[in-house]
Amino acid sequence: MTTDGQLPGPPGEPPAPPPSQGSPETNRTPDDGWLRVHPASPFVRGWVALAAITFFFGRDLFERTLQGQPVFEDGFARRAPWLLGGGAVVLAVAVLGFVLTWYFTKYQVSGGYVRVDSGLIFRQHRQARLDRVQAIDIVQPLLARIFGLAELKFEVADAGESAVRLAYLKLEDARQLRATILAQASGASAGVVTGAGVDAAAAARPGGPAGPERLARPAPEAPETTVLSVPPSRLLGSLILSEQSVFIVVGGIASVVLSTLTDNRAFYFYLVPAALGLAAGYWNFFNKGFNFTAAVSPDGIRLRYGLLDTQAQTLPPGRIQAVKVAQPPLWRPFGWYRMQVNAAGYGVSGNAAEGNTRTILLPVGKLPDVVAMLSLVLPDPGTPQPGLVFTAGLNGKDSDGGFVTTPRRARLLAPLAWRRNGFTATDTALLIRSGRWWRELVLVPHQRTQSLALQQGPLARRFRVADLVLHTTAGPVAPRLVQAGLDEARQLFDDQSARARLARKRQTTEQWLRQVVPAVAPTPMGALQLPGAAAPGVPMPDAPARGDTTDAAAAKARDHYQQEGQQHG
Amino acid sequence: MRTEAIDPPGIAWQRVSPKYITVRLVEWAVANLVTLLVLSAPLVFVLLGWWRWPPLWLAITVPSATLLAALWRLVLIPRQVRAIGYAERDDDLLIRGGIFFQRTMAVPYGRMQYVDIAVGPVERALGLCSVKLHTASPGTNARIPGLPAAEGARLREQLAARGEARLAGL
Repeated sequence: MTTDGQLPGPPGEPPAPPPSQGSPETNRTPDDGWLRVHPASPFVRGWVALAAITFFFGRDLFERTLQGQPVFEDGFARRAPWLLGGGAVVLAVAVLGFVLTWYFTKYQVSGGYVRVDSGLIFRQHRQARLDRVQAIDIVQPLLARIFGLAELKFEVADAGESAVRLAYLKLEDARQLRATILAQASGASAGVVTGAGVDAAAAARPGGPAGPERLARPAPEAPETTVLSVPPSRLLGSLILSEQSVFIVVGGIASVVLSTLTDNRAFYFYLVPAALGLAAGYWNFFNKGFNFTAAVSPDGIRLRYGLLDTQAQTLPPGRIQAVKVAQPPLWRPFGWYRMQVNAAGYGVSGNAAEGNTRTILLPVGKLPDVVAMLSLVLPDPGTPQPGLVFTAGLNGKDSDGGFVTTPRRARLLAPLAWRRNGFTATDTALLIRSGRWWRELVLVPHQRTQSLALQQGPLARRFRVADLVLHTTAGPVAPRLVQAGLDEARQLFDDQSARARLARKRQTTEQWLRQVVPAVAPTPMGALQLPGAAAPGVPMPDAPARGDTTDAAAAKARDHYQQEGQQHG
Repeated sequence: MRTEAIDPPGIAWQRVSPKYITVRLVEWAVANLVTLLVLSAPLVFVLLGWWRWPPLWLAITVPSATLLAALWRLVLIPRQVRAIGYAERDDDLLIRGGIFFQRTMAVPYGRMQYVDIAVGPVERALGLCSVKLHTASPGTNARIPGLPAAEGARLREQLAARGEARLAGL
């Protein structure tokens, strides 16, 4: 039985030649292998169904024993063969289904693409361009963790259905694959980073049956440095002082008051489901935020967290679309902040809770932590005094740090916040600050601005102010500058268009190592550089040319994310 | 009341076809007719004596207030349509709209993911179409309605060509 009715050509010959590969002849050979996920993975994924079946039958038996009835009915002996036979058939079908699903799920990383084939009846062939990888996660649900398995999940730009998932791989393989994908995505691929020796070794290997140990291109995992971690005590404290807790206290007081006033005890009952839901919410936060660690590696920012289910996210450099630093009023005495990000693909996650967790850059942290994270997100702050500017954005008011606030004439529109609502622009990002009680600072890198709009309602027109909205990808951060003076807003509208345009021109390729040249990958990058782009720090001369070809090819082949479902036998 | 526009100064706006007013009028008529019929039902029932609850004044006030609001919107439609404009600049497309709630949006060509042309039944009868630009952001609600079909096609080709020339990553 062929597995690929409509594969675009034999595996190993990508449909569109990867535009960004430096030397095609060196990286063609070892990549023919299609690999399979771990054989146990369907069972790990289908454990819910198995548990449900067990629960269903088990409960029946349990209840019978409790009621003192015989465990088996009288006529059981007659029906036993049928029951057993039926059960066996169901089990066999289930197992066969699992095995077939496993058999037909294959993946391949080669030539700048990752391809995943899956599905038994509805075949699905999915391929994603590696240089468009926006984020890559290794997820370990509890059961998978017990078996030492992990799911690899990566987000690709501009896809409706965001993630490409590989579930499950052995943890080692998942790590290795992540390193491989990131190495290719960063432009450090084509075997040069691992050196010619490795490449030759890979080529020398027979292209025989694919095993999980023979990954497409072994790349060393990028070294990482831990930047910060969140102690559990602080996480607990932040939960206790969260907005949720305020609601609980207020709701509790209200219900007690109502009960005493109306002599109606029933109000307590309404609290039970609410308490259950809230407890679940707290648990979720705690479970997800536990042991939160942020690290930095040449591949980007690594976030690890989780108590029972663990997750390791990698956000490659420059993939963050917008950042929000927020401080609820109860956190202010402790100097805590929360950071959230927009990254392409994170916002459109099917599961809202999952999406929320993944967008958290820092569940709770103090000022130094925030500054550390900001320096990771925005390595070049674009201002000579980053400390001053960012602190003013977090805590300042009026014109501290060069912020332009709402003009005094509009103070009636925001009696408290007008001294804080403001913006400032550095060379690399726009900072929008707002809120007197709920302090917020939103950061949008210039090269990430999608589009922008000026808005003004009738009331705002009376006061000659306007709002400026910056559009970014879906996510928790919605950058909006409120009530800026009309002239300033208009000026900013023009300036920001120009800045975004310049930043886009500067950012020429999606492969980040090719932009920031040698700092990370010492010697091998030289092999990829065109002659003329010599000095570090001036990668520009050749970059536009390469970027143009890359992007033109991208425009032509808008197929960096394809999926086909097709009927198959 | 003479209002100060929020647009950047010195831009030659291209306006949409005046025929788009007709489209808006038809949409207005359909939507308000249904609403008014539903809201007038209690009045009829009360007058016929089938219902007791809504007092007569309420049964009269609700539909008449709705009618007034609808008429107000009707008066605004021609001005709203005249307020819609777009301008192709070197690096981005500007779209403006609204009188009371004004909005001016700049969509860089390099950020466009794809361009849609949509034609509704009324628009088709009048030879109009709507062009919609999509970026990676769901917040970009960049729609230019009421373009003559030929202008719509030209704009789409133009935008696609410029987008391809300036395509940037996410």
